[in-house]
Amino acid sequence: MTNAPIALQTSVAAAEPAAASPAKLTARDLNFFYGDFRALKDINLVVPEKRVTALIGPSGCGKSTLLRIFNKIYSIYPGQRAEGEILLDGQNLLDPKYPINRLRSKIGMVFQKPVPFPMSIYDNVAYGIGHYEKLKKAAMDERVEQALRQGALWDEVKDKLKQSALGLSGGQQQRLCIARAVALKPEVILFDEPTSALDPIATGKIEQLIAELKQQFTILIVTHNMQQAARCSDFTAFMYLGELVEHGVTQQIFTKPSKQQTEDYITGRFG
Amino acid sequence: MDSVLAERLYVRRRLLNATALVLSGAAALVGLFFLGWILFTTLSRGIDGMSLAMFTEMTPPPGAPIGVGGLLNAIVGSIVMCVLAVLMAAPIGIAAGTYLAEYANYRRIGTVIRFVNDILLSAPSIVLGLFVYVVLIGAPMQVSQAIRTTEAGQAGGWLAGLADWLQGISGFSAVAGAVALGFIVLPVVVRTTDEMLRLVPTQMREAALSLGIPQWKVTTHVLYRAALSGILTGVMLGLARISGETAPLLFTAFNNSFWNLDLGEPMANLPVTVYQFAMSPFDNWQQLAWAGAFLITCFVLTVSVLARTLLLRKKMAHD
Repeated sequence: MTNAPIALQTSVAAAEPAAASPAKLTARDLNFFYGDFRALKDINLVVPEKRVTALIGPSGCGKSTLLRIFNKIYSIYPGQRAEGEILLDGQNLLDPKYPINRLRSKIGMVFQKPVPFPMSIYDNVAYGIGHYEKLKKAAMDERVEQALRQGALWDEVKDKLKQSALGLSGGQQQRLCIARAVALKPEVILFDEPTSALDPIATGKIEQLIAELKQQFTILIVTHNMQQAARCSDFTAFMYLGELVEHGVTQQIFTKPSKQQTEDYITGRFG
Repeated sequence: MDSVLAERLYVRRRLLNATALVLSGAAALVGLFFLGWILFTTLSRGIDGMSLAMFTEMTPPPGAPIGVGGLLNAIVGSIVMCVLAVLMAAPIGIAAGTYLAEYANYRRIGTVIRFVNDILLSAPSIVLGLFVYVVLIGAPMQVSQAIRTTEAGQAGGWLAGLADWLQGISGFSAVAGAVALGFIVLPVVVRTTDEMLRLVPTQMREAALSLGIPQWKVTTHVLYRAALSGILTGVMLGLARISGETAPLLFTAFNNSFWNLDLGEPMANLPVTVYQFAMSPFDNWQQLAWAGAFLITCFVLTVSVLARTLLLRKKMAHD
């Protein structure tokens, strides 16, 4: 046990270069309201570029709410509003003048339940691309293949691209949803508990995929599973009752958190 | 002693269970028995009247020998008016259902429209028939007469032309019949479209929107595809509903003993023909009434079974 602190210090030091990555997304004094209920309280968070940032915390702490602000998906529901600023490369996303479709082409999202569209595997990926670019068939084929390869799904579906996506297994469907998001060449991908509906093997594949995707994309992941956050994220933010309690390098949050609440949560005393 | 008590309680529970099972089973049997009886009577009496002539000849005069004449004009008239009604009501109903599910779902106006639609859904069909009679047949006639009593109307010119036109369109017609039937189809389609669209998981909407695709495209390209079989089921159930409706046609399409494809004129149809023939004292008419009832029953049965199959396939695809 006496050696432990030293070992920890070296690993924290090893993670330091990760912290040097420039900010991709910055939330400033962010507040969120469901009607009169204030679900997020003055959140300040920096999401570094091409790193994985995990949001953890007990149910109802606002981590999904926070994630859903980054691509403004909340705006389809009346009565939900965000106040404050979210900067993407210096531009405020919450500015009503910021075009929402451009925002969503830059920030993709993968949901808890895999929801392939009721069309073929090929069309699931091509549909989003077709909305932004008019491509010839050969070029589109190439883009679809590229996206499916990035989703680690190509080898399993290359012979049945014209079949319905609803026939895939849950894990395959989720990777298809990832490929669908990746196909638009976004800059950020948001994952909202992407593996909570999947078995351990499918979960392992998705986590491996996330590790590969961070070479190219900035990733923000909400998870209930603390081991998952520890395994696949570079940074972790702990949220509780709508507040951001602590945010830092994952290793540090899980080994020597600076706040008592964080320690209580990660050691399983509540949540 | 405890085990004896437990045994007694167990026997009591089993007795209660058996009693409840017998009573509820008997209730189900009573319902099924009468349904079976009705179906059996219709089928056995109707099948006697089935012949090729039914589909090739017009309705015969009263008292003609049995086997002479058929129901061709009524069958064609019913098809024409039902199809016309569905063509008018289904697009409006689907559009309205889409509005409810996709645009007004979380709003007060959505709740109000759903409530009003449910009232229309349970409105007595004879009331709908009377309404269409007043609007499409009674009102044009009255306006036409009112114009003719004015000096300008008597002087001729466009006002007199208008009066002539109004008089022309008033009167029993296939169009009026189809509109009345359409009012029955409409709420059915609104309701099923609304419900089927709301059954599509919210996350599918969010996933499509989060690709930056505008809402109208999400609705028409993704959600309609997901809800298609359900929406079609609604249209088919609407069709099944109106194929046997008599009351709305009594004051609108009326009936016609002859062949007619002019939509502006009264048109023969199965339900009213069955009604008139069944009430008549003539054997040949009564025979045809049974055959007509048989036809309607078969059609409704087929359409309902088709609709159920569609819905079942959709459910299996979802699981």
